[in-house]
Amino acid sequence: MDFLLELLQILVFPGILFAIGLAFVYEWLDRKIYARLQNRVGPLYTGPSGILQPFADFIKLLAKEDVVPNEVDKPLFNALPIFALTLSLTGFLALPIMDLRGVISFNGDLIFLIALMTLICIVIMYSGISSANRFSTVGAERAALQLLGYEIPMMLSAISIGILASSMWVYDIVSIQANSLWFLIGPGILGFAIFVLCGQAELERIPFDIPEAETEIVAGWLTEFSGRKLALFRLTKDVELLYLSGLAVALFLGGPSGPVIPGLEFILYPLYFLLKTLFVLFLLTTLRALFARLRIDQMVNFSWKYLVPLAILQVLIVRVVV
Amino acid sequence: MQEEELQKTEKKSAYELFFDIPVGPQHPALKEPAFFKFRVEGERVVGVDVDVSYNHRGIERALEDRNYIQNIYLIERICGICNVAHTLCYAQAVEQLHGKEIPSRANYIRLMVEELARIHSHTLWLGVAAHEIGFDTLFMYVWRDREVVMDLIEMLTGNRVTTAINTIGGVRRDVSDEAKDKVKKGMNILEERLKYYRKVALNDPTVNARCSGVGILKPKDAIRLCAVGPTLRASGVKNDVRRDDPYTLHDEVPFNVITFDTMDVFARVLVRIDETLESVNMVRYCLDHMPNGDVRIKLPLSPPVGEAISRVEAPRGELIHYARSNGTKNPERYKVRTPTFENLPSVSEMLTSKSDYEVNIADIPITLASIDPCFSCTARMEFRDVSKGKTWIWSLKELKAHCSKSRR
Amino acid sequence: MSMLKEIQKSLFKKKATVLYPFKEREKVHIPEGFRGKIVFDRDKCTSCLLCARFCPSGACEIVTDEKGKRPIFHLELCLFCSQCQEVCPKGAINLTEEFELAAFDRKAFTIR
Ligand code: SF4
Ligand code: SF4
Repeated sequence: MDFLLELLQILVFPGILFAIGLAFVYEWLDRKIYARLQNRVGPLYTGPSGILQPFADFIKLLAKEDVVPNEVDKPLFNALPIFALTLSLTGFLALPIMDLRGVISFNGDLIFLIALMTLICIVIMYSGISSANRFSTVGAERAALQLLGYEIPMMLSAISIGILASSMWVYDIVSIQANSLWFLIGPGILGFAIFVLCGQAELERIPFDIPEAETEIVAGWLTEFSGRKLALFRLTKDVELLYLSGLAVALFLGGPSGPVIPGLEFILYPLYFLLKTLFVLFLLTTLRALFARLRIDQMVNFSWKYLVPLAILQVLIVRVVV
Repeated sequence: MQEEELQKTEKKSAYELFFDIPVGPQHPALKEPAFFKFRVEGERVVGVDVDVSYNHRGIERALEDRNYIQNIYLIERICGICNVAHTLCYAQAVEQLHGKEIPSRANYIRLMVEELARIHSHTLWLGVAAHEIGFDTLFMYVWRDREVVMDLIEMLTGNRVTTAINTIGGVRRDVSDEAKDKVKKGMNILEERLKYYRKVALNDPTVNARCSGVGILKPKDAIRLCAVGPTLRASGVKNDVRRDDPYTLHDEVPFNVITFDTMDVFARVLVRIDETLESVNMVRYCLDHMPNGDVRIKLPLSPPVGEAISRVEAPRGELIHYARSNGTKNPERYKVRTPTFENLPSVSEMLTSKSDYEVNIADIPITLASIDPCFSCTARMEFRDVSKGKTWIWSLKELKAHCSKSRR
Repeated sequence: MSMLKEIQKSLFKKKATVLYPFKEREKVHIPEGFRGKIVFDRDKCTSCLLCARFCPSGACEIVTDEKGKRPIFHLELCLFCSQCQEVCPKGAINLTEEFELAAFDRKAFTIR
């Protein structure tokens, strides 16, 4: 019975199906808010207010011809989209949604979660290189450089919270924040800002959409992917967006916790999770609308000049508080 | 840089990691077909090879087959965005052949529409430039506000883009008082918005980071490479046909020639925004000082035998038309020199790294866009063997070789 | 930070998009004097053929009907320059404000 329940959790709620469905909705929201910020309307005609548009895009891409160029490294080229999606979905499973702990939860999973993000980035690098396209190669090169830029401050900010909770277990982090409001908004606020900025870089969105800068290198590392593979990569990006906002919520905003009526946790927790991730999504979208794309050297500079020192400061603050 | 020079850079790097990045003929940064081959070393651009002959339309030849009235509309279609400048230049050239002056009210209307078109062109460019540096929000805002001037042009001339307002001997439509009020209101909105965009350009950190110090063109290079228009003025050279060789009423309507001395893309952004603000004032001046009277004189279809040259400051720079008439209703020879063609050598200068100046791949789109290129009018020459149905293009070297052979 | 203020404002402002082809047709303003679809008045035409002589694109073709020579207009070739309207001495040609000219049938493009 337990096993069945677990399987259900992994496959349906709050597992893979839920993640994919929610990811589409979040992409739609992202596009809608972005459009509103630009005084446009955004997707409109597929489903009510265009809510089915990302799904329709996905289906359309699935039906398109899948071109594999002669020169590419075929096994890698075919496998990478699946790797990327798997990684981001695995990450999602570890997020606390229904409960204060995720479907996968073990002591030290914070490190695992951060490593996952780096792995996704490495998959991206390989996709660029295996494509054997000039634009892709430049894109992959940029993705690697960008990783050097944002990874350290991101890890530091995440780890500072670990220090705060004296644990590397997301469950511990969430519960300590659930029990005291001070831990929720007090020492971690700077870390939250850094995390969101770096998240933007991880997601490759403006101002850090350097590896796939459209006007510069066509689609960067994505240039050669088409049809099903492109669909999977786009889905990966959506799930990653969801995953990152979920992780930011789990680490800095108390996860799914909140005032609960006993017995109703199973509804209220996911609800709180949704509300909080929506807030993070809104921040991410606003950032996207606010800036121009940076150049890769400027991005790395910015990150090492400002983000890394700030992240270190965050660790120090936490040390003092604890 | 030419192909041979590109070859020279081959394998000189310590890592031998040069490779070529093709930008074009189809590329998201280019709105029209042109081909740029960039030799890069990592992110650094070390050489560039330009090929713009992708779109030869044979307009100059076609002009010789049509009469002077039909040619207005053909000339107008050389470039959609600066169509007013082209028709103005054409009409001036033909009037010069006739040796006739047009009524003053017509001149005011011509100038006003010309400046409105400049506003529309520069705001269009501002949006495109914002898109090239990935600032889509600014792009959307600018284009939203550009609609104001588009609507005014539509109201005054009957179409949003292809105005067809200038004709030989004057303009085709008069401006009513009601329309004047609307234009004035529109100018107020535009002025406010443009001032806001100026503030954004000056204050936004990311715009600054992407535009300043990029695409440097030193004044002496600009002059040597015959840059024109805003590209030249952004290098600090005070040069504007409207001031140097006034046509229509530019000697009467006051305006400042905007120059900037930082010589980079940022300067080009500001020069264009400030020029648009000047244009707003010029339109206002025209509205206030427009005399009453005719807007058009009738001229015969065939001008007398003769030659004429006319110059106009198009939004992209100096535009020159040359016409030769043999007394029939079709021109004998017509030649157009467009500003983009003049600015292309400067672009390859801007895009080549030098010892103290680095060009990144990321700078390519905005630098290319900074001259406001309009490649549709750059293909100048191609050879066609009608009997074989073959079309080809010769390089300068091949052309010279052919010429010297036939001379002998 | 002037940009931040602007995007905040946009969030609550009315959208700038006009949902034109499907809804909000009434929001599309076509000003007076717009150069759109051509209408031709056969009764006024005196077969002077000036319109065809000045048409830059060959959209104005001369045919013969029971009353003599007359122009027909091919909208797929027309530039909407209104030169024909301008030269017609009898005012038989008019460019109207109708601009939705797309059609599946080529015949719809020929104005008689
Ligand atoms: S509007 Fe212009 S292109 Fe169209 S038929 Fe008349 S003259 Fe010809
Ligand atoms: S110009 Fe007018 S009158 Fe003459 S043929 Fe054309 S339509 Fe008829």
